[in-house]
Amino acid sequence: MRSVIEASPDEDVCILDTEASPEHLARGTGRHADAMLAVVEPYYKSLETGRRMAVLGRDLGLSRVSLVANKIRDDRDLEAVQEFAGKHELELAGVIPFDEALPGAERAGAAPLDFAPQARAVQAIGELAGTVCK
Amino acid sequence: MKLVIAGKGGSGKTSISGTMARLLARSGRRVLAIDGDSNPNLALTLGIPIERMNDLPTLSRDLLRRTADGQELTRTLAEVCESHSLTGPDGVSLLVMAHPQHAGTG
Ligand SMILES: Nc1ncnc2c1ncn2[C@@H]1O[C@H](COP(=O)(O)OP(=O)(O)OP(=O)(O)O)[C@@H](O)[C@H]1O
Ligand SMILES: [Mg+2]
Repeated sequence: MRSVIEASPDEDVCILDTEASPEHLARGTGRHADAMLAVVEPYYKSLETGRRMAVLGRDLGLSRVSLVANKIRDDRDLEAVQEFAGKHELELAGVIPFDEALPGAERAGAAPLDFAPQARAVQAIGELAGTVCK
Repeated sequence: MKLVIAGKGGSGKTSISGTMARLLARSGRRVLAIDGDSNPNLALTLGIPIERMNDLPTLSRDLLRRTADGQELTRTLAEVCESHSLTGPDGVSLLVMAHPQHAGTG
């Protein structure tokens, strides 16, 4: 897989959706990427896994590694992620609210963007895309 | 720009990857989305019917050649995409690395 990433031209966007295992990344899947987004939910185990993956990404030499907060329900959730990011000196590239539209799309067998284009989570992912791929 | 989406199981990697891919394609980028999960499901989030996935040949070992520090493609990425990718809504190309029975070719 890393050969595919390496071969993809720079002017295009190549998005690699990975498996949850850090081993996967450690095998070098991420080595030829420019950036990593570690998606975290606002609870300890998820944050900790995200942090470990971010560290792996840095070790692999990726120039930009950041966290994305997902399934954020309220200010407390947001503060938990912000505090964790601050403590570990990790950038928080985006915040995506908890949104029923995503599981709803899944149940309907549709893409979130087709099922609920105006959904808050979809809008937030749009903002994230703009931040990451300027 | 080559972007890896990582995170704990169920954190939202696939939802974010698929939706970002579609939105970037809409904004005029050429987007290649790669499903690197051994249990692939990125197609759904991209809006590609699951049935179409069944017709897709997976990347096999003969596309890769061993080199000193790993592997490289034996054909250009364009050629690989030509034969092994699907094009979905907004023109996003989807490349699926492995089906469960073929796990390990990535
Ligand atoms: N912002 C959100 N609000 C509510 N539900 C969400 C949100 N993001 C994702 N989900 C839901 O969480 C579940 C897991 O999401 P997804 O499949 O994108 O995660 P994943 O990290 O790719 O999982 P896996 O590790 O199994 O590949 C899905 O049911 C999805 O609809
Ligand atoms: Mg997934």
